[in-house]
Amino acid sequence: MPEMTELKEAILRGDAKTAVAATRTLLAEGIDPVELVTKQMIPAMDEVGRRFECQDYFVPELLLSARAMKSALELVRPLLIERGATPAGRVIIGTVKGDLHDIGKNLVASMLEGAGFEVVDLGVDVTPQKIISEIQAQGADLVALSALLTTTMPNMKTTIEELKKAGMREKVKVIIGGAPVTQQYADQIGADGFSDNANGAVSLARRLVGAS
Amino acid sequence: MAQVRINIKPLGRTLHVEPGTPLRDVLYEYGVEFPCGGRGKCRSCRVRLLEGGLPATAEQEEILTPRMVAEGWRLACRCDAVQDVTLEIGQWEATVLTDSTPFDFAPRQGLGVAIDLGTTTLACQLLDLSTGHVLGVQTGLNPQAAYGADIMTRVEFGATAEGAGRLSSVIRAEILRLIRNLIAQAGLGAEPLRDVVIVGNTVMHHLFCGIDVTPLSHYPFEPVRDGLEILEPADLGWALQGNPAVRFLPCLGGFVGSDILAGVRAIRMEESERPIVLVDLGTNGEVVVGNRERILCASTAAGPAFEGARIRMGMQASTGAISDVGIAGGKAVCRILGGGSARGICGSGLVDAVAAGLRLGIIRPDGRIAGGDEWLLCDPVSLFQNDVRELQLAKGAIAAAIRLLLSNWSTRSAEIGRVFLAGAFGNYVNRSSARRIGLMDFQDETVTPAGNTALLGAKLALFDPAEDFQTSLSRIRHVPLAADPRFHEVFVESMSFPPTDG
Repeated sequence: MPEMTELKEAILRGDAKTAVAATRTLLAEGIDPVELVTKQMIPAMDEVGRRFECQDYFVPELLLSARAMKSALELVRPLLIERGATPAGRVIIGTVKGDLHDIGKNLVASMLEGAGFEVVDLGVDVTPQKIISEIQAQGADLVALSALLTTTMPNMKTTIEELKKAGMREKVKVIIGGAPVTQQYADQIGADGFSDNANGAVSLARRLVGAS
Repeated sequence: MAQVRINIKPLGRTLHVEPGTPLRDVLYEYGVEFPCGGRGKCRSCRVRLLEGGLPATAEQEEILTPRMVAEGWRLACRCDAVQDVTLEIGQWEATVLTDSTPFDFAPRQGLGVAIDLGTTTLACQLLDLSTGHVLGVQTGLNPQAAYGADIMTRVEFGATAEGAGRLSSVIRAEILRLIRNLIAQAGLGAEPLRDVVIVGNTVMHHLFCGIDVTPLSHYPFEPVRDGLEILEPADLGWALQGNPAVRFLPCLGGFVGSDILAGVRAIRMEESERPIVLVDLGTNGEVVVGNRERILCASTAAGPAFEGARIRMGMQASTGAISDVGIAGGKAVCRILGGGSARGICGSGLVDAVAAGLRLGIIRPDGRIAGGDEWLLCDPVSLFQNDVRELQLAKGAIAAAIRLLLSNWSTRSAEIGRVFLAGAFGNYVNRSSARRIGLMDFQDETVTPAGNTALLGAKLALFDPAEDFQTSLSRIRHVPLAADPRFHEVFVESMSFPPTDG
């Protein structure tokens, strides 16, 4: 990351308070909000992802950084909407039915948000019907499914089958992840992609939705 | 150098080890427990020298009395094998009555068997119900492990038509084998076997009793039937003299089973005025907090790091494992089980190594190994960055469970009277290291290794009307942590290490 700013540093440190203060100052100085997101927040979160991948950061640091980024983004979001800026894509994310594991799914959601996606987090124990209703209501480019148990992983397959039945499978890309999930399983159930880490999920989403 | 021979009575086993091997390392593998953690404080690991020689030291005379030492008694944790010996294990001869915690029991004729049916290991004892004497011990591995090491893989296979039958039949057959060995070993063929009491977690309960495990495979993980099961040997396909009643004690809720119920009884939590804590550290960590008024329990998936699994050079606590890491002259000093060269690191060594790394500044409080991805502990064994991460996940899960249960009980760690650590890992983990890594923040002096509390509780049940356990059961409430909205936040917070020794 070539140029370090106060905002970038605050996001990297996971310091939400400073991140918000720095964002306020920058907006008051008249910085373009789109530029603020694309030139500072997204690169900062890319750097967080890089550090996570090389094990410099672990779950607590990643979540703190994501929280700092989110707090800053809250300030910018109304301005983005005002300007009609479009997000990189709309993602519906959730942990499948029967499974309550939250952390991995939250990491991916935060990283996608940090990468400029609009993320709708349906939470845990999510039924296929809930996903289908959400697509019907607001539309989506990508559905991201998580499962941590070998016993709940088959619900990824069920979800994809339900999407097909509802005639929606062609409208969205589906990506999957979680401890027991493999590329082989993704191929087997006809998912569009698999990643075993949050950073990989971002590259995957960018590739599939065509917003590199 | 020639090896020395150790005969173990009443097991009738002979083994050969390098001269100078600590007895603790040898006997641990045969099920001898070291409740004080092998620090020469509790006398529980005493052995009697029947042949050969072991040095009698002033320290041993002080702890055991000069008379006992003259009679051949020694503390196994204080002796090395220097010449051929024949030993009798004191622990296995101890009566339930002379256990450090006395309890009422109504003597009756016949024999009883108490069984701790663990996900990984099995421990059984044969008792004379008229005297409370332990007549024999058998330990073994759970043969279901061939179908998956962890509990969820077991559930996954058990939920299939083929798996349900297979998992039930292999465990029933293995337990029958152990019971037959116990009876044969004791040479008491004519004495009738009256009672068999089994304790284990909910999945073990279901698979042994032949109950469908499908409801345990997904949220809300609510078993259909998890109460006391009384079975006839014929139901299990067992032919046993005396036709004993086989009781599998009731589960507490979720995955928390009768092994924890037995533990609560063994440490007499229901009689304590101050709140006390029981922690069972394994792949599935269980925590219980309570006193005579109310008791809360929970389980948390800690993963297998404490058993050395998913650690790059991890191994079980056997010969060649780094089991302790201390600091001398600003450097880490490793103790290796069996005294030879290091082959890997076991759970207690991992906790010690990370604690030492934090104290030496080699590992930062965020878990990052400073200046590299690897720390050479004792050639050729290293601790790797990912190992620290695995430990962070495991200890974070346990620490979060403790924090949330204490908070649900409206108490704090400083108010806890005593903390009992159950299981093998609890016996060996260094308390100050556990504190340093933030596994628990209780005062060191309140923490007591408690050995196999599940087996002790099962033994108590042999002498107890089942109704007593039902009363305990009604006082214990299971808290489903995964459904607690605070759990994930506290879990993540608990993954980091405390910045200082504190």
